[in-house]
Amino acid sequence: MSATTAVIDRLRTRIGVDGQPVTATVEAGHVRRFAAAIGDPNPRWTKEAPPTFLVALAPVSLHLEEAEEYGKGWLNGGNRFEYFAPVVIGDRITATGRVADVYEKSGSSGDLLFIIFETAYVNQDGAVVAKLRGTMIRR
Amino acid sequence: MSIEAGQEIADLVKHPTTRQLVQYAGAQGDFYEIHYDQPYAQSVGLPGVILHGLLKAAFLGQLVTDWLGDRGTLKTFEVTYRGIDTPAHPYVCRGRVRRVEGLDVELEVWGQNPDGQRTTVGTATVRLHA
Repeated sequence: MSATTAVIDRLRTRIGVDGQPVTATVEAGHVRRFAAAIGDPNPRWTKEAPPTFLVALAPVSLHLEEAEEYGKGWLNGGNRFEYFAPVVIGDRITATGRVADVYEKSGSSGDLLFIIFETAYVNQDGAVVAKLRGTMIRR
Repeated sequence: MSIEAGQEIADLVKHPTTRQLVQYAGAQGDFYEIHYDQPYAQSVGLPGVILHGLLKAAFLGQLVTDWLGDRGTLKTFEVTYRGIDTPAHPYVCRGRVRRVEGLDVELEVWGQNPDGQRTTVGTATVRLHA
């Protein structure tokens, strides 16, 4: 069995298994720093979080250490956010992530390893406020 | 103004700098070295430090929320990264209305580099207030 096959097999055992939940409060200062970093001056972000803020609130491990035996670097393939309720300053959000899929593809510049992540964000009232699906690539 | 398929969204032009990448790395908590460490980025085959995909997503998110204002709610926002982008070049975010069905509106959005290549493409769906 090649080393890369072993990495893929090991990662595949994690498919569908929820990671450790991460809970964090949506703080005005953090949202302000995030809005400043993306260069979005909308005054709305003094009360609520901009669309992609959730990735900053509770970073779930997008860079799986055990995948790093494969290839030499990470690329972000894409992100899909689905929103069900607003996220406002003061909310306490719990993020639970898991690996949804792992597969290898042959590209023009060599083999690539795709890892699909899914994260659900639940607020203090137990309401799912958003879901995120992301594709991380090892190359 | 009514919203109709084919309408274009006002361009949003961003001027990302390496400083902004560091600022974003801190705000997001993503300290992957390809976004601020020039020799490291080159050691993994990149031309130099590159923009975070999620920073480009945030730019397109701003394009959408600026356009939408208080007229409705963002329901889904999806982006695919097709190419890398380096700082010190303007990054132009564009979009148009793809479909309108009652109060549901679908937008096509993209970010392009100075060569006109769409390095980030995406879709946003919004629900307008009745």
